[in-house]
Amino acid sequence: MKLLDVEIEENVKIANDIFLLSFESEYLAENFKPGNFVNILIDKESIYPLLRRPFSISFVEGKRVYIGYKVVGKGTKLLSQKSKGEVIDILGPLGNSFLTDTFDGKVAVIGGGVGIFPLLVLCKELKNRGNKVDVFLGFRDLNSMFLVEGFKDICDNTLIATDDGSRGYKGSVVELFKANVSNEEYKVVFCCGPKPMLKAIKNLNLPVKCYASLEEKMACGIGACLCCSIKGKDDKMYHVCSDGPVFDIMEVEIE
Amino acid sequence: MNLEVEIAGIKLKNPVIAASGTFGFGREYSKLIDISEFGAICTKGITLKKRIGNPQPRLCEVYAGIINSVGLENPGVEAFVNEELPFLKGLDTKIIANINGFTKEEFVELTKILTSLVDMIEVNLSCPNVKEGGMVFGKDPKKVYEITKSVRNVASCPIIVKLTPNVTDITQLAVAAENAGADAISLINTVSAMAIDIETRKPLIKMVTGGLSGPAIKPIAVRMVYECFKKVRIPIIGMGGIMNYKDAIEFFIAGATAIQIGTVNFINPKAVCEIKEGIEAYLERKGFNSIKELVGNINI
Ligand SMILES: Cc1cc2nc3c(=O)[nH]c(=O)nc-3n(C[C@H](O)[C@H](O)[C@H](O)COP(=O)(O)OP(=O)(O)OC[C@H]3O[C@@H](n4cnc5c(N)ncnc54)[C@H](O)[C@@H]3O)c2cc1C
Ligand SMILES: Cc1cc2nc3c(=O)[nH]c(=O)nc-3n(C[C@H](O)[C@H](O)[C@H](O)COP(=O)(O)O)c2cc1C
Ligand code: FES
Repeated sequence: MKLLDVEIEENVKIANDIFLLSFESEYLAENFKPGNFVNILIDKESIYPLLRRPFSISFVEGKRVYIGYKVVGKGTKLLSQKSKGEVIDILGPLGNSFLTDTFDGKVAVIGGGVGIFPLLVLCKELKNRGNKVDVFLGFRDLNSMFLVEGFKDICDNTLIATDDGSRGYKGSVVELFKANVSNEEYKVVFCCGPKPMLKAIKNLNLPVKCYASLEEKMACGIGACLCCSIKGKDDKMYHVCSDGPVFDIMEVEIE
Repeated sequence: MNLEVEIAGIKLKNPVIAASGTFGFGREYSKLIDISEFGAICTKGITLKKRIGNPQPRLCEVYAGIINSVGLENPGVEAFVNEELPFLKGLDTKIIANINGFTKEEFVELTKILTSLVDMIEVNLSCPNVKEGGMVFGKDPKKVYEITKSVRNVASCPIIVKLTPNVTDITQLAVAAENAGADAISLINTVSAMAIDIETRKPLIKMVTGGLSGPAIKPIAVRMVYECFKKVRIPIIGMGGIMNYKDAIEFFIAGATAIQIGTVNFINPKAVCEIKEGIEAYLERKGFNSIKELVGNINI
């Protein structure tokens, strides 16, 4: 983990409200693991937004680090207005990572909305280790789809769900997964997405291990402020920023 | 330039202290910055028993500040002593333990355990995020007197009493603490606050209200330091929204002997170095020989 000033290489719109930001950082490229995130200080002098904003590292090409994000509020709006050559202050890599052993069989990866961003590099890593990977991606509609080609290049099967049915399965990505899970013997499941999606996956009570990347509002991002705590079994407290963001889905409460 | 300050005989190499609850037990930030740069570290609030704190969401951002309701999540005093203190002791800085009781007896008990293990104790009579103890005690000058006195009786190290701004007249609390034998007072803790999501009409903090910190509270804090400086003789440790050296200087001029920095640690972990350097350059530029000359040195 380091504080880095990086120069924006590219900051482009890739779908409705969705942007892809990239910069060069040898340190981050060499030290990050799938699931890690960074804390971006969007504007040093700003008092609103005040806090850093957490974003997953989507993927890395050589020394170039890519971060995909959705414009949802003031911070991401300002970030989307930055252009090539501007310098941003980044703290990372932060958090734990997805476990990427060889599972000797098929692995399912499920992503919803911006939760899809950290999964591309996970799929790549899983494939590199000789696993077979089925990825299930959920989007709102055709116009909010992103990175799909990237997943198709890597994964054995790329299955799409959209809320309005404009592409792939009409409905939620969890329903799509449920429809397929009975035919496939997955050895392990990884997921990232909004809380209701993760809750639905947890409620499936899968017979295999399922790891989920969680989100919580964060201030420090490194385990010092205790703002991002979540309850585990037996009232054990975990900190999403430092014990996570990736957890065994059965070990934590998802409210 | 001499940045050394003294609080009840304890010398701090500089007046910049990490504020309780914003620096954990030092471990996390030690991977990022040189902690010996701090004059002292004030620990996350410690209670007798382990506490899991309040439900999520515990944090929201508002204009120029954040509202938190962590609710004193901490591993309890025993785990603190066994697992966190050895690390803290290895750092080249002074250690202040921030303690929280739900009864007077608990404050006394905590003090007995910690008094010989740390450099100073900060008695938190101001946490807004718990239902008993904390600010509930800290709003009543009689209770502040009573608890401070009981802690004073069993403490062999200096004690600092941390005050809440959520009262009409904070100087009454300051005076009560001084009369009961506090060695210093620190102010301010967070300001009771609330924010609502207008789409869902739900409060943004699960506990409905929480404590506001950051730049939004600085003018309130400066005013309170100034008022207390006129009423008490013991040193004042000022805090609330300090983001840079200029903010810090205001607190010294208002009457603070030392300062604590909190929320800024989350945004700029290097703030302590920048604030220290800024204070030094300011003193030189203005022709002061030491930080002491600046304390309470206001032109009205
Ligand atoms: C570990 C982690 C990884 C993330 N990765 C991505 C990613 O790859 N792509 C992406 O688009 N988004 C990601 N997010 C969510 C992203 O952090 C928020 O969308 C962003 O902070 C919103 O900022 P804002 O100023 O635009 O919104 P505002 O609503 O104005 O933000 C206000 C405050 O809430 C916090 N906040 C708001 N939403 C979230 C959230 N969902 N999670 C945590 N804090 C939040 C902000 O940090 C800020 O303090 C991630 C969140 C976490 C915790
Ligand atoms: C997340 C968080 C946790 C805090 N926890 C404690 C605590 O345990 N004990 C305490 O005395 N003050 C606690 N505080 C208050 C700070 O020590 C400080 O008084 C306050 O944040 C004002 O300073 P600032 O504006 O520089 O942050 C906490 C503040 C924050 C933001
Ligand atoms: S964000 Fe501070 S502990 Fe996780």
